[in-house]
Amino acid sequence: MQIFKASALVAAVAMLSACSETSNKTVDQHFGDASSGGLSQMTAGIWVDPRGCEHWLIDDGLEGYADLRRTPDGKPVCNSELPRNTATGPFKSGSSFPDAL
Amino acid sequence: MLNFKAKAAFARLAAATAALTLLTAPLQAQEQRSIVGERYVPTIWVDPDGCEHWVMDDGAEGFMSPHVTPDGKPVCRRGNICGVMPTDQFFATDRHSINSAGKQRLQEFFKSANARTFVIAGHTDSRASDEYNIRLSERRANSVAQVGRSVGARISDVRAYGERDPIAPNTSASNMAKNRRVEIYCLR
Repeated sequence: MQIFKASALVAAVAMLSACSETSNKTVDQHFGDASSGGLSQMTAGIWVDPRGCEHWLIDDGLEGYADLRRTPDGKPVCNSELPRNTATGPFKSGSSFPDAL
Repeated sequence: MLNFKAKAAFARLAAATAALTLLTAPLQAQEQRSIVGERYVPTIWVDPDGCEHWVMDDGAEGFMSPHVTPDGKPVCRRGNICGVMPTDQFFATDRHSINSAGKQRLQEFFKSANARTFVIAGHTDSRASDEYNIRLSERRANSVAQVGRSVGARISDVRAYGERDPIAPNTSASNMAKNRRVEIYCLR
C-alpha cells in the first residue's frame, strides 16, 4: 500500500510538472490519486468553522473543495452541535494520499 | 429653389450621419475590446442536501462555488424543505397557539423525520403591517420549535420572514393561503 501511494505520488507530481492549460475542468486531472474522475461524484464530509457554521468538505486526491452549507432560504447552517474546527464524515474517501501534501 | 431644398436635405443628412458616427463610436470601441481570459466551464456537484455547487478542476487546483439564484437562494434538485405546514391547519387567524390535533401531527413529524437538527422558518401573507407579520411569523415558528423540543428534537435556528418571502404573489385568497406557512428544514 505504501509503495502504491508513493508511486501514485510520483506519478501525480510528474503530471503536475507536465501541467499545461487544462481544457476540461469538469473531471479530476490526476490519475492515480484514487479520486473517481467526474467531479459530480465526489463525497463530502462536514467541517464546522470556529463560529459553529457548517461547510461541505471534500478531499479529492490532490484537490480539496469546501463550500458553505445552506438551508433553502439561503442562510448558513450554524449553531452546529458538531465540534468546532473539526471535520467529520467521509470527506477523504476520494483520496489515497497521505496528507503530508 | 429646388437647389436650396436639395442643399438643406444634404446638410440634414450630413448632420445625421455625424450624429450617428458619434453614437456608434463608443459602441464600436466596446465591440472591439477584447477580454483576455481562459475558458472555465464548470460541472455541478450535488451536496448531500440535494443542492448544487459549481466545481472545476484546473490541474493542481480545484474550485467550488455555490449555485444560487439572484436572490441568494441555493439551487436544489429535490425540494429539500422537508416540512411545510400550511398555518391555517395549525393556527387560528392572528394566533400562535397550535391546536392539539396539530400538535400531535407535528410531534409525529419530528419523531419520524430522522434528522440531526431542524431549522424552523415562519412566513405570513401580506395583510397587516410588515412589522406585525414579522412578529406573528416569529411567534408561530417558536410554537413549532417548542413542539419539536418537547419530543427531543434539536432546533438549531428559528427564523421569521413575515410577508417578505412569499412563495406566490399575494393576489388571490388561495395564493395568500400558500404564503401562510411554517417551513421546517431537516438537517441530516
